[in-house]
Amino acid sequence: MKSSLTIASLTLASVMALTSAQAVARPVSYQGGWTLIAENDRQTSSLLFHYTPDPKSSVGAKTAWDRELDIQFTGVQGTWLAKRWFAPTSQANLYFFGADGVGDNPGDAKLGTQLGMMADWETRRWFIGYRAHAHDYGALDASAMQAGRIGWAPYAGDSGDLHTWFMLDVDHRPDDANPVDVTPVLRLFKGPALVEFGYSLEDEDAILNFQYRF
Amino acid sequence: MKFLLSLALSASLVSPVLAQTPPETDPATMDPSDMDHSDMDHGDMDHAGMDHGDHDHASDASDAMESSTADGSQLTLASEPDLVAALNAGGTPVVATVLGAVCDFCALAMNKTFSKRDEVDAVYVDLDDKTLNLVLKAGAEMDDETLTDLVKKAGYKIDVIDRTPALPS
Repeated sequence: MKSSLTIASLTLASVMALTSAQAVARPVSYQGGWTLIAENDRQTSSLLFHYTPDPKSSVGAKTAWDRELDIQFTGVQGTWLAKRWFAPTSQANLYFFGADGVGDNPGDAKLGTQLGMMADWETRRWFIGYRAHAHDYGALDASAMQAGRIGWAPYAGDSGDLHTWFMLDVDHRPDDANPVDVTPVLRLFKGPALVEFGYSLEDEDAILNFQYRF
Repeated sequence: MKFLLSLALSASLVSPVLAQTPPETDPATMDPSDMDHSDMDHGDMDHAGMDHGDHDHASDASDAMESSTADGSQLTLASEPDLVAALNAGGTPVVATVLGAVCDFCALAMNKTFSKRDEVDAVYVDLDDKTLNLVLKAGAEMDDETLTDLVKKAGYKIDVIDRTPALPS
């Protein structure tokens, strides 16, 4: 029964796939919570507004623009927290996500699919994360990417304090002119709001990510 | 000349040692989060000989409840204005240690989850102590199962629940 539910959840996540999906911090919230996530990497800008019906999953509306290929998608994204490991001073997470939807783009492709995963381990001072995703935009494009991130907080902020993280993101996009890029990131968050500023060293793109929990 | 050089060399080697700050001993300036309690053994403490009889619990509605801490140790309610106000209004304190609470989003999730409950008058998540601090409204109750389930709904896991926590002074 449990394994069939797991398969069903994976299938659901797969079927619901569509756009750029790189939630960099906690893509599943508390039960009943709403979250707004705006992200920009060196290729894609996206906006996701999701709801967490249970502590293991979230479902949301998403729009994403692949700036390099000029592909715009709008659809539904599902994220599944497959496992969270708890420890007194740390936690680790394994997520799978995907989205499906319709698009408006030069190639008139009407459907796109994207699947991905993310894993992280975090204490109050250290962060290590890995994420990977692939998309299939039919005749337009099909590609994959992976990225790793490490982070360090100069101090351990308590509840309600301003939390500051210095992070280094390294991403690998085999199809890109610059397959590997490094992006130093400054993450700040306080209460329900998180913002990240970064700059990719190869593509020389500014990165701005924003997340707000309602 | 050789002697002077040796003396200077010795002084340069020794001075960093001498310059080291002595360990902090003033409790008022010590940061408990820097302490390593993992290798401390509290099991050999003698609680039998301690006199708890002079405590005044007359106004503490949690007297009827037993502490759920496995080792009998006592947690402390965070000294936050909302908690203290709720306590002074006759509320019942509950403190629980939570596993995986490492960031402000964790605290937010538990604050949002518990503040929606009618039984809860005040809630605060202390990331330094990794504790969920609740003061239930006067006369209200929340059993361990409900408490554990709500923390799970917030995305985290209860470790220990203490229904007779030490109160902030």
